[in-house]
Amino acid sequence: MSASVSVADLDDRTRAALRRHLLALADSKRLLGLRYSDWLLGAPSIETGIAASSMAQDEWGHARLLYAMLKDFDEDPSAVEHDRPREAYANVPVLDTPFSDWAGFVVAAVVVDGALSVALEGFAEGRYESARARVPKMLSEEAFHRDLGLAWLKRLANGTDEARARIREAARFALPATLAWLAPDDDAHAALVEAHLTAPAGALLQRFRDRVGGALEAAGIEIPAPDTREWDAARGRGPGAPEQEVVERARGDLNRALLVE
Amino acid sequence: MRETVFDVFARKERGEPLTHIGYVDAMDAELARVYAWKTYDEQNWFEMCIVPRAQIIPVNRTDGPFAANALESSLTGTGGAA
Repeated sequence: MSASVSVADLDDRTRAALRRHLLALADSKRLLGLRYSDWLLGAPSIETGIAASSMAQDEWGHARLLYAMLKDFDEDPSAVEHDRPREAYANVPVLDTPFSDWAGFVVAAVVVDGALSVALEGFAEGRYESARARVPKMLSEEAFHRDLGLAWLKRLANGTDEARARIREAARFALPATLAWLAPDDDAHAALVEAHLTAPAGALLQRFRDRVGGALEAAGIEIPAPDTREWDAARGRGPGAPEQEVVERARGDLNRALLVE
Repeated sequence: MRETVFDVFARKERGEPLTHIGYVDAMDAELARVYAWKTYDEQNWFEMCIVPRAQIIPVNRTDGPFAANALESSLTGTGGAA
């Protein structure tokens, strides 16, 4: 295994790219956790609701660990977690709005959580020492998220015509922008690859296909090309931003309003 | 949506006996294993297993959660149920 590197070892271009990557991962985890938590009481069964709740807690824990890596940049993670406007969020775009229905949840568990896992695998296999130390535990927890998503995807695909139509519609909505987020075709990602901090875009996309492509295909869903229109290189995602309401929840605005100085 | 009951067994250490820790309802085994792990994840389990309740055959009792699976021989008293 190649020697690990710290932020201090990186040039300015690579440091900026690494910071963008951290925010893309952490913001996605935080919002995915919120979207999962929306289904604690609305899932198809009590057991599924408990699983959604547990997955939400996992995602929030992972987000906290990823934000904490900003300390490597001599940056206060608390300010990043609690003070940014919605336009600064670098999350997977499909998380900007709530899941349309249970099919939206299932597709997110397969596509968005799947893309996040592939991104984290590339990160953990790279040379950044904090990722090497902290990401493997996250990935062990993620395995059950994928299993839940794939099991439900198969269930819905073998269900009614309406169920099949809904998962296909949710996948059409989720896949193109998620794939662009996973494998940015831009200078920042190139900087990360050159410094061996993550895998090349093509390798990440191939790994995603290997991981969930068969299950999606069995459900009648083809993996499209990434949608790179209106690419926002500053954030590493497509256009748009999460709804104000979800950002307030992500920041914990209401909780902080109760704090007495 | 028809669901099956799966009983959940786990142990904290290698060599410890498996202990019945609860059950989950699920449509199939794939979902049941995820539900079991996510429902009973408050402990750091070394091993967890699930068994469809319909596959558990009581040996000495004709009452309780597994009564529906009792064999003819246990109903005729060879198991010594109280």
